[in-house]
Amino acid sequence: MTERVAGADRRVERQGRRRGVMGWVDVRGRRLGGWAFILNRLTGLGVLFYLYLHLIVLSQLAVGPSAWDSLLRNWFLNPVFLLLDVVLLAGLVIHGLNGVRLALVGFGIVIDRQKALLLAFGVLGAILIVIGALRFISDAGAK
Amino acid sequence: MSDTTSVTFRVHRYKQGDEDPHHDRFAVEVGPRTTVLDALTAIRRTQDPTLTLRHSCFHASCGTCGMKVNDHEVLACVTNVRELGTDEVRVEPLDNAPVVSDLVVDMGPFYARFDVAERPLVRESELVPGSHTAAGVPQSMRYEDCIECGICVSACPIAGTDPAYLGPAALAAIDRVRQEPRGVDVGPIMRLADDPHAAWRCHLAFECTEACPSNVDPAGHIMQLRRSLFARGWRRPSAEPQGARR
Amino acid sequence: MALQTEDPGMSRQAPVERWAPEERDTLPGVGWGWQALTGIAVLFLVTLHMIANHFVVTGGLRDYQQVIDYITNPIILPLETLFLIVVSWHGLLGLRAVIFDFGLSTRAERAVTRVLLVVWVATMVYGVALLAILVTRR
Repeated sequence: MTERVAGADRRVERQGRRRGVMGWVDVRGRRLGGWAFILNRLTGLGVLFYLYLHLIVLSQLAVGPSAWDSLLRNWFLNPVFLLLDVVLLAGLVIHGLNGVRLALVGFGIVIDRQKALLLAFGVLGAILIVIGALRFISDAGAK
Repeated sequence: MSDTTSVTFRVHRYKQGDEDPHHDRFAVEVGPRTTVLDALTAIRRTQDPTLTLRHSCFHASCGTCGMKVNDHEVLACVTNVRELGTDEVRVEPLDNAPVVSDLVVDMGPFYARFDVAERPLVRESELVPGSHTAAGVPQSMRYEDCIECGICVSACPIAGTDPAYLGPAALAAIDRVRQEPRGVDVGPIMRLADDPHAAWRCHLAFECTEACPSNVDPAGHIMQLRRSLFARGWRRPSAEPQGARR
Repeated sequence: MALQTEDPGMSRQAPVERWAPEERDTLPGVGWGWQALTGIAVLFLVTLHMIANHFVVTGGLRDYQQVIDYITNPIILPLETLFLIVVSWHGLLGLRAVIFDFGLSTRAERAVTRVLLVVWVATMVYGVALLAILVTRR
């Protein structure tokens, strides 16, 4: 009744288990704060990636009016892109609100009520994402 | 023995020199009050005497039976099997510590970090003056909350990637010394807390606080350390004149 | 070998060293303070950026002429320039913190800091050049 567990050669003996970056995204056994940590990290890296993508795309403005406007018509007003915009908005809201939490708790301003703060921001974030998503979808119908 | 049910324990096995760890399954008869530690000692007694585990007090005071049960860090001695609510119980050693054998991890690195705080074991602040004591005992003592079980370090996502991270338990101990310096110059230990691999490495997942079986609130202590460090205006604590402020 | 024991298995364990702080030329808390400060600034600027570019525009996106009109606004131009400076600083500092969580040596950390500083300066040059081009298009 023996089954193998993945692991490098004698790694557990030297370093112990779950050492490494997989521990950041391993959601097993994680609680609310752990989820906030994972989401903050993923949204942060995601938004940073988007920032540079955005800056590169903006170079089309320098090319001229036709280049930008055709990009707009053919790509960015496409429903798939609007869905990606909602994902971006969700990332910004999550990272932004969690950032406020990190500042408040991390400077020792709010320590005892940190869990209540996390819950409140979670609810607020969910509301903002839904409002933003509805706005994006209604805007898509307008143009 | 009428009120027993069979529960499968999927136990992490590893002996030094093995290439990889594996899991073994054991069926254990479990009653309403059976703890994970009871079940593991039963496996040792009746099924596999080579199963290695560490325990001592059986009542959450010694901090030696910290392990992962169904992905959560717990003290096995106070974890009721039925209350877990699963047909199969997965038992693994703590994360982020070298595995010595099966469920036993090497606590050496943990203690080596913990000891830098040089925190006394006994609290002075919460002794009640004039409180009743047994005959011949001059005064009651209140021990520190931390039982040095290593559960917080196992739960910490940062301890998993930064081997130099001082870790939640040691930082909480440093903050306890800051709170109660007892005439000791806190400058040097605040300098430890100000290290890049110390208080500032924490990313506020609060997993340590959630997992702590002894209400230490390590993350809360780390935040208090930060507040204290921040209030000092980014100066190195060691640059301060000798003598504690508090 | 004073610590040698009869059990050869014991000698396999690496000796446990006492944890000691590193000597550094930077104050570790400063990076975190910068992250919080720029984070708050980014929160305001990104909200403005999103509202101005997506929520007050019909259809949710600005066409070429709308972008030029927007960016040449004397209030918007300094705000968007500030946004560029602060958001890239915040993002790269955050990336630095993520990289540092891997427990690098002090030397490797310095190298990471230098590389990210170069990336930030390059971003500034690119962004300001782009803004300058667009402003002259009015």
